[in-house]
Amino acid sequence: MGAETSEAPASDEEFEERTLAEIMDPREFGWPTRLGLVGLATLAVLPVLRGYGFLGIVVNSQLLTNITGAMFFAVFAMSWDMQSGYTGEISFGHGLFFGVGGYASAILQTQLGMDLLVTIPLGMVAAAVAGLLIGFPSLRLQGPYFSLITLVTPIILIGLFTFAPDITGGATGLFTEPLTSGAVEGYVIALVLFLGSLGLFLAITRSDAGIVLTAIREDELAVEAAGLNPAKFKLFSFVLSGLVGGLAGALFVHTYAGGFVAPSDLLALVISIEVIIASILGGIGTITGAAIGGLFLFLFRAYIAQVDLTVPVVGVPINEIYFLLFTVATLVVLFFVPEGVVTRILMRARRRADTEDDDEGPDVAADGGWTEGEPTTLERIVAKFVRELRELTGDRGDDL
Amino acid sequence: MAVSPVTVGVNVLLLGALYAIVAIGFTLIFGVGGILNLAHGAFLTVGGYTAYYLVNAGIPVWVTVPVAGIVTAIGGVALYKGILKKVADNPVSVLILSLVAGLIVEQVFLVLEGAQPLVVPGIVEGGIGILGDNVELNRLVVFVVSWLVIGALFYFVNETKTGQAILATSMSRKGAAIVGIDADNVFTLTWIVAAGLAGVAGVFLATFQTVTPLMGRTPLLLSFSIVVLGGLGSIRGSVIGAYLISFLDQITVQYVSPRLAGISGLVVLVAVLLVRPEGLFGRELTEG
Amino acid sequence: MANDGNQRGTDANEAANDLGSDRRTFLKATGLGATGVAAGLAGCTGPSDGDGGDGGGGGDGGGGEIPETIRVGALGPAEAPFGSSILNSAELAAQEINDNGGVGDKGATIEVTTGDTKDDPGTARQRYGEMTSGGDAAHVTTGIFGSEQLLALMGNIADKETVHLSTGAATPEAPAKLQDNYERFKYWFRAGPVNSTFLGDSLVQYAAERFEKMGWEKVAFVAEDFKWTEPVTQTIEDRLADEAGVEVTSVRRVAEGTEDFSPIYDQLESEDIDGCYTALAHIGNTSLVQWAKQKRPFGYGGIHVPTQLPSYYEATKGAAIATFSQTTATPTSEITEKTVPYANAYKENYDKFPVYSGYSTYDAVYMLKKAIEEAGSVNGDDLVTALEEMSHTGTSGQLEFYGADEEFPHDLKYGPELAQGVYFQWQADSEGEGVQEVIWPDELATTEYKSPPWV
Repeated sequence: MGAETSEAPASDEEFEERTLAEIMDPREFGWPTRLGLVGLATLAVLPVLRGYGFLGIVVNSQLLTNITGAMFFAVFAMSWDMQSGYTGEISFGHGLFFGVGGYASAILQTQLGMDLLVTIPLGMVAAAVAGLLIGFPSLRLQGPYFSLITLVTPIILIGLFTFAPDITGGATGLFTEPLTSGAVEGYVIALVLFLGSLGLFLAITRSDAGIVLTAIREDELAVEAAGLNPAKFKLFSFVLSGLVGGLAGALFVHTYAGGFVAPSDLLALVISIEVIIASILGGIGTITGAAIGGLFLFLFRAYIAQVDLTVPVVGVPINEIYFLLFTVATLVVLFFVPEGVVTRILMRARRRADTEDDDEGPDVAADGGWTEGEPTTLERIVAKFVRELRELTGDRGDDL
Repeated sequence: MAVSPVTVGVNVLLLGALYAIVAIGFTLIFGVGGILNLAHGAFLTVGGYTAYYLVNAGIPVWVTVPVAGIVTAIGGVALYKGILKKVADNPVSVLILSLVAGLIVEQVFLVLEGAQPLVVPGIVEGGIGILGDNVELNRLVVFVVSWLVIGALFYFVNETKTGQAILATSMSRKGAAIVGIDADNVFTLTWIVAAGLAGVAGVFLATFQTVTPLMGRTPLLLSFSIVVLGGLGSIRGSVIGAYLISFLDQITVQYVSPRLAGISGLVVLVAVLLVRPEGLFGRELTEG
Repeated sequence: MANDGNQRGTDANEAANDLGSDRRTFLKATGLGATGVAAGLAGCTGPSDGDGGDGGGGGDGGGGEIPETIRVGALGPAEAPFGSSILNSAELAAQEINDNGGVGDKGATIEVTTGDTKDDPGTARQRYGEMTSGGDAAHVTTGIFGSEQLLALMGNIADKETVHLSTGAATPEAPAKLQDNYERFKYWFRAGPVNSTFLGDSLVQYAAERFEKMGWEKVAFVAEDFKWTEPVTQTIEDRLADEAGVEVTSVRRVAEGTEDFSPIYDQLESEDIDGCYTALAHIGNTSLVQWAKQKRPFGYGGIHVPTQLPSYYEATKGAAIATFSQTTATPTSEITEKTVPYANAYKENYDKFPVYSGYSTYDAVYMLKKAIEEAGSVNGDDLVTALEEMSHTGTSGQLEFYGADEEFPHDLKYGPELAQGVYFQWQADSEGEGVQEVIWPDELATTEYKSPPWV
């Protein structure tokens, strides 16, 4: 089931030039890819194993629910990576897309009594429009200012929600209909979404469009000189990110959240920040890194709260300070492994593969560009950011 | 009967001064060091809790003002030297690391003291009649001290050698280096001033509101708007921007709806950036 | 849901759990933790679900039987007094029940599992999910505190078919869900406080009986802009002026996150009011402290959740002086013969007095005990029937629930002979210490309202 869903959206991708068969050829896979496929297969068969125990972990509805939440979160992270990781426009308020998707669907359902099968796609479209609205100014704004705008937009939206609590539910949130209430049904929906998004994003970023996007991030002028319109590609990535983020937000509300939409689930600053952290931990501009980082971060958060240990000295139980530990851990990882954990593992793996077999494809740049000797994706984005910051602060070319 | 314009005016004057000392620090760090410090709001939190702990230890509130400033300045330098300096050439890391550092500060106080708002008494108690309007004496003191601080800063930047060094560095690092200014010292000094100011502002805020882990968030967001309005790295622009934002916020709250508290500034921020992506006054040098 | 049959096959789970839980105390929440691992090691790899909680308590204890250990899940924001009162009171009640022969003829013990909601809907959902899944799933749950968290959990409570006696939250939207769909949501009950529609009634009643004496002729109403205050605001707008015979100068709803009340107080002052009548919980601290610091020339109180904290006077360094509030009970008010002993027992165990959510939670655990004995099982549907028929003398009054066909199904009944709460005011005693003195109703009042010292 997983394979079908990941292929379906990819096949109608207009920028696709390398055939799927080439991408999907298992002979080309390194061990990380194989491991990833095994992981995906495990996710796909997990509901069937309900009630069985492995290595001390029992597959029960709570495990399924946690993984459901994790898959939603991973889609959020991938959607951020699609926009920010590939255009270099760092968004600090990606929760906007999830919120717009979730709220649009919920409000349409409660106010107009529309069917969920109509409102969820409409929520997706609304988020895509939001992507367009955020995308246009990004074409003119310098990087740091774009980050500021994205940071405050969800806050403004929450503020406006409290202004019309009858329609939006205000700060508390709004009841709407659930699409399904079963743990397994919710899981399957999240799985389809996760695999679909993963497939779609991978197909696009590994296609020519992805190469163009990566090139824009590095040198917009060069892309223009090549006769391509960078604005078009950037907007494309924003809209795509909005579409997927909005769909995920709407499905989240109607499945995992049990038909309840609240600012703290989708729009809160913490959500937007966690999404960035997940992507960066995994590796920015790689999609797979965001997926893995998202899954890991959500499950880590869910389970660290249950650890029944007490921190020595201060005598505080770990489950009461898990968010603090989590932020500290994030700080440490970001400080020491800025390129992302998954990226670093992949680099090691690739380096090893390189020594055995020199035949590396030329396409690596598109999936993150972490070929040895070349700057990492993060470094490239940083370079762009530094350029724009210089322009802002007037330190033009004043390199010390 | 509507609220008298005098009352609104007094509020605008008082809050504007407070916002200004927060925003000046924010803009100094950005303008001089090129660092967008999202942990700036956390400095207020540190200042507020420092005052709370000291007051509970029996120390008078006015003494806690300079102490909180010093404590926060130390914290600021630690943040800069320990973390942000090492990634200063990487603005993306700076943004995220400073944001995470701010979250950590919030979390620490949340774990230590809980989300419950805490009380710090006013620096002075009582009120005074101004134009027939009763004004809290504490706010008046805060207003006066804030302006003294702003004035001292103007003097420092424009009239002292060290201040001129900061100015020079913000204009051109290479130029500053040629005339023998140690950029690193200047950056450190900027952090001391900026964090110290924010810590003091935290105490002020605590004396007429309450101390909570998240108390620095609104001032941080307002600082964004102020800096974008007033221009980067400009002290004068920050003061003007702070008053514009404070005026706008009070007008919105008093005459439109209290529910829009804090939102109007953010809307202005977005609007300004959409119309003039380089900011309202653009880049202005720190000529004070 | 092919595999989601009822879990008769969890015997291994149960056994493993019983071995492991030969301790009659209160384990901290370890949803998947201990038992999941134990079950795995015990070779529980058969096609059982591993979810005791799914499909209701019916799966556990084989139906019609009271299990040896009754697991009660208590949820609340552990770091706030409103939450710790919930968690502690659940444990206190369980301890008392266990010490006094347990539940039912066979003396089943109650084991309390606690979950920290962090006052966040997502976290509450996560903790509730863990608490009600796996081999050691809770048979019943209580607590929660915030309306936001309660509303976010309504769907989960329905899906789990596990009885929940909520305490702390006052939103009438919860019983509204039962009115929409009783069969789905019937596992929800409210043990306290009375819902906010009644809080509005209560405010009007108090005003009618006391405002004249207090000298409140011109009054402004200030409510925080949260769900629970919506019916209160409505009631005040419709009835306060007429029934209390006062002039209502304005009715304001203040946004979440408001940090500066000066503009609002400026407006109230310009309206020349005698009193500011409140419905504040989340933003009540800032509001109260600024009112006191700025020595605003009007009285202040109504429903004010923070000022209900027994330690509030000290915590605010006396700023709470003269503020008054409705509350479920105070440590010294003899609402029933159980009120004061409970408050004292709580103080003995936890070194401070509980807040209102504590009284309700303590009552909730006793009601659950009674219901389980009545039903002879922990089956969700059986417990619903037992609770619907119950009348329990608790610490907060005579507690009964509205029936399925009434306006607020399964909500706590409000009235003089039932639960109606008290109004208290912070007054300074001879040594300058703050005391919560009851000022309403007449039969419990210890003193009269006093204006703030500066008015």
